Amino acid sequence: MVEVALKNLTKRYGKKVAVERLSITFPDNSLTVLLGPTGAGKTTILKCISGVLTPDEGDILFDNVSVLTIPPWKRNVAQFFQTYALYPHLSVFDNIAYPLRERGLSKDEIVRRVKEVAEKLRITYVLDRENPATLSGGEMQRVALARTLVRDPQVFLLDEPISNLDAKLREEMIYEFKRLARELRQTIIYATPDHFEALAVGEQIAIIKDGRLVQQGTPEDIYYKPSNIFVATFVGSPPINLLEGEVKKIDNSVIFQGSGITLDITDIVGEWIKKVSEDKVVLAIRPEDIFILREKQKDLLKARALVSEPLGHETIVTCSLGESEIRVTVKGFINFNYGEDVWIKLNKQRIHVIDAKTGLVVL
Amino acid sequence: MTVTARIVRRKSPVKRALLYVAVIVVCLIFVFPVYWMVATAFKTRAQAFSWPPLFIWEPTGRNFIDIFLKRQTEIEAITGWELELATGSEIFFYNSLIVTSGSIILALVIGTLAAYSFSRYRPAGTDTLMFFILSTRMLPAIVVAIPIYFFYRALGLYSTHVGLILLYTMFNLPFAVWMMKSFFDEIPKDIEHAAMVDGTHPIKIFYKIALPQVLVGLAATIGFMIINVWNEFLFSLLLTERSVRTVPVAIASTRGEVGINWGLIAALETLYVLPAIILIFLLQKYLLRGMTFGTVRGV
Repeated sequence: MVEVALKNLTKRYGKKVAVERLSITFPDNSLTVLLGPTGAGKTTILKCISGVLTPDEGDILFDNVSVLTIPPWKRNVAQFFQTYALYPHLSVFDNIAYPLRERGLSKDEIVRRVKEVAEKLRITYVLDRENPATLSGGEMQRVALARTLVRDPQVFLLDEPISNLDAKLREEMIYEFKRLARELRQTIIYATPDHFEALAVGEQIAIIKDGRLVQQGTPEDIYYKPSNIFVATFVGSPPINLLEGEVKKIDNSVIFQGSGITLDITDIVGEWIKKVSEDKVVLAIRPEDIFILREKQKDLLKARALVSEPLGHETIVTCSLGESEIRVTVKGFINFNYGEDVWIKLNKQRIHVIDAKTGLVVL
Repeated sequence: MTVTARIVRRKSPVKRALLYVAVIVVCLIFVFPVYWMVATAFKTRAQAFSWPPLFIWEPTGRNFIDIFLKRQTEIEAITGWELELATGSEIFFYNSLIVTSGSIILALVIGTLAAYSFSRYRPAGTDTLMFFILSTRMLPAIVVAIPIYFFYRALGLYSTHVGLILLYTMFNLPFAVWMMKSFFDEIPKDIEHAAMVDGTHPIKIFYKIALPQVLVGLAATIGFMIINVWNEFLFSLLLTERSVRTVPVAIASTRGEVGINWGLIAALETLYVLPAIILIFLLQKYLLRGMTFGTVRGV
């Protein structure tokens, strides 16, 4: 296994820039998730690493050695394609065995490894299908995954490998990837637009937007220390609540005012207050860092409950607070009436302050 | 498809019956000449010319035997054209077969390779080149006939199999390139990317991954090329003497002067049409694909 590093990687399609001066390191023997919305350039990045696309600028290093001159058929990476890219004229077994045959493994070894991976992915029952087009979407995805995982490459590239599986199988596959990464110590680069999946699978997460790296870190870093408003809103569900307003100094205290609410934020004032370019800020707070109470208490904000969505282990409550709507998650099963008066308490230690002009998180 | 089906379903039984009658009548009109050709092939000269026309007669195989077996010495009433036709016509079939298969194989190999390159590697000026290739088919054949005749005379290609094969290859290449490119374009790039990452060299990808997926396209292209070459008349007439003459020209050159042995001609035509019919019957669903190629992209 190798460490994969991209240096100033740029790839254009005609005039459109898909990846722009991207520098990123995927640590050896760990699972890194490329997380970003559709069209962010994730697939292009993976294809550059595998070599099927040639970058316009920049370099790709495997253990500090440039691989740009190594053609994809010699680069020894395994790639799962979002489109599955099964060979339509080969049987399911032959599809999975294909990369092994290309590497000249013995017949027995091929049969053994194909069966092993098929068992792991629970597709043994389709191995003798002649035409892969007769498979269901989830089966196709698993066959394509088997074709990728059956190999023993320098690095695995997985492009949305479980997006089409049903919920139960997804959970199992997430476990499987984690196990693969932790036990076998493989270098895996895993692209997904799904932040849930990213948090669950990733040892490292790299957030990509418009072909650029926005933030890289552990899932914890990404979730609790987002670097800008994009990361803060992209990761987490229900999404982080945003309150726009201004910071004002009144007497000895610092007050946030806007969106129809006034909040004393003296407790969390720090260095950041000097960094804010203007007084306009956005407060961001995750739904689980807000408490909702039925009884009035001192220092609480008054709000009106609108909708409760019970999910079993928690309930998502949407309230109107001042001029904005905020979402709050509450443990367990709870139901608020429409329009019911409630009182809101924000966990101030968990509030992020975002510079409204630059979009950067300053706290 | 569904629209026509709905229209037919909505019709009353009477209207539908009328529709079928009309279809049958039209079919008869189109099939009758073919029937007459085949029927004449099994008639003697007297039967072929009898009036009123015979619809029931004792069929004879004489014409077919004559085509191949009647030798010069056996011919009683010798006229120039009958001699031409009736002494070992297998040479014309042989010529047609050699010229058709030779030119098709050549056009298919060159055309498929070119189409794949255009589709996958898009060399600089691909669009211009594709148009140029097509434009070679835009001149009416008769315009280039005389220059080609002189070229062939000068190059020693006149009345040779190689000459006709080269010419027909040139005819068919634009078809092959355009049709095969559209079929290659339909293969998702990711499949070839996957093969590349799985360790397959691009040259191997061409025949191991891409080619098996365009077999339908190959069949359709072959079908169209056969129709082009098997029936070609003008250049075969212009550029061949007897030894290289193809069947269409041979049949035509029997007409004229004195009487015509229609039975013999009909037998020859019947035999000539047979392979084409069989082939088109076998390839019909691919030909349909070929005719509509490009119109159902993305399906």
